[in-house]
Amino acid sequence: MQPLKLGTHTAPLPLVQGGMGIGVSLSKLASSVANEGGIGVLSAAGLGMLYKGSPHYEENARDGLRQEIRKTRALSSGVLGVNIMVAMTNFADLVEVAIEEEIDVIFAGAGLPLDLPKHLPKNHKTKLVPIVSSARAARIILKKWLQNYDYLPDGFVLEGPLAGGHLGFKKEQIADPSFTLETLLAEVLTVLRPFEEERKQAIPVIVAGGIYTGEDIFRFLQRGAAAVQMATRFVTTHECDADDAFKASYIQANADDIVIIDSPVGLPGRAIDNAYLEDVRQGLKHPFTCPYDCIITCKKEAAPYCITLALLQARKGNFKHGFAFAGANAYRATEVISVKTLIETLKDEYAVAAQSSDPS
Amino acid sequence: MIFEKIKRLIADELGIEEDTIELDSDLSEDLGADSLDAVELIMAIEEEFEIEIDDSSAQKIKTVQDIVDYLEDLV
Ligand SMILES: Cc1cc2nc3c(=O)[nH]c(=O)nc-3n(C[C@H](O)[C@H](O)[C@H](O)COP(=O)(O)O)c2cc1C
Repeated sequence: MQPLKLGTHTAPLPLVQGGMGIGVSLSKLASSVANEGGIGVLSAAGLGMLYKGSPHYEENARDGLRQEIRKTRALSSGVLGVNIMVAMTNFADLVEVAIEEEIDVIFAGAGLPLDLPKHLPKNHKTKLVPIVSSARAARIILKKWLQNYDYLPDGFVLEGPLAGGHLGFKKEQIADPSFTLETLLAEVLTVLRPFEEERKQAIPVIVAGGIYTGEDIFRFLQRGAAAVQMATRFVTTHECDADDAFKASYIQANADDIVIIDSPVGLPGRAIDNAYLEDVRQGLKHPFTCPYDCIITCKKEAAPYCITLALLQARKGNFKHGFAFAGANAYRATEVISVKTLIETLKDEYAVAAQSSDPS
Repeated sequence: MIFEKIKRLIADELGIEEDTIELDSDLSEDLGADSLDAVELIMAIEEEFEIEIDDSSAQKIKTVQDIVDYLEDLV
């Protein structure tokens, strides 16, 4: 496996641990992954609910992110990132905190981060990596960033339809074979090539969504990806920051328990089915008072439940009042292992795949 | 004619026939533009008219009329 280079940062392994809200990837998971040579990623989503020092959500969110970054830094000198969703009302606020704290990489998805470079001082340590689900979105970001900021993205995460959490696809596209990650990767590489040639700068593509084994990693690197991002597989590790009951829900899930839901934020999402979601399908509401207008696109008056509160409850292991987001392969986990063991396994599987494809 | 120019741009961007586009057409509901189409359309308008449309104005644009109004206000 080749290291992953994002601008001036180099991770020994071409492996990014995907940011997982709410409170699923925090300092413990992110630092463990970074210590093993991957990029460890904190999720900034909902930190204003986990940190409650002040009566103001925005302040708690800022403070929470700052503290989590410092905690992670204290535990690892590897490459660290934060995942910040563009659709969050306090997106700009959180980006500024991450930059002040000199995080290595900002991953920004769930919307087009058209203005992200605006926040970055020249020659700053922080690298900017948008998360996209199509070649079109990649092209729009490239054009805007070059036109307005003369800034070439330091990489892209390309998230396909098998990912966990909110998905950047229409419902009918999710199972459509013209939207597989393999197809999307080829399209994105085609869009990037002229920009890379013109600027004489490589733009690494990190593929995500359904990547589960070292053999999968090998396959995608062969197809031109610079690295992979994996999230689901890191949930069933000892170091994952969610409650044990959250991890157990992955171990217990069968293939047909993984479902697509209509999230109140206006996107489809992938989750593990349970009675809470069954109630929603039956038209029942889980009444709530909106704690804070956290997502720009949330239709809170019409929403049958609050996605932030539901995910927060699941994270604490309280599935009576929530449900877990998960990738399409979540049902494959059979036990909770350490990050170290997981990464060793991935390396071994990768080596086997590489060897068996080598004709010599 | 601003409307004629806009019609052509929209037809190109969305790959639809010019004569399906009316002044009161809603970009997403009537013309089927998704959120990426909307951003691309704004970028095409910026290029064509050599202007910059800030995000908050861009977000208010829902119909063809909104685009025409915005451009007419500039001149
Ligand atoms: C529990 C969970 C929470 C997630 N939360 C976020 C998030 O807050 N922001 C984000 O951009 N992606 C989020 N994702 C998506 C992941 O970062 C990742 O891109 C995707 O799940 C990759 O597919 P995989 O899970 O099959 O490896 C989440 C995924 C899961 C499973």
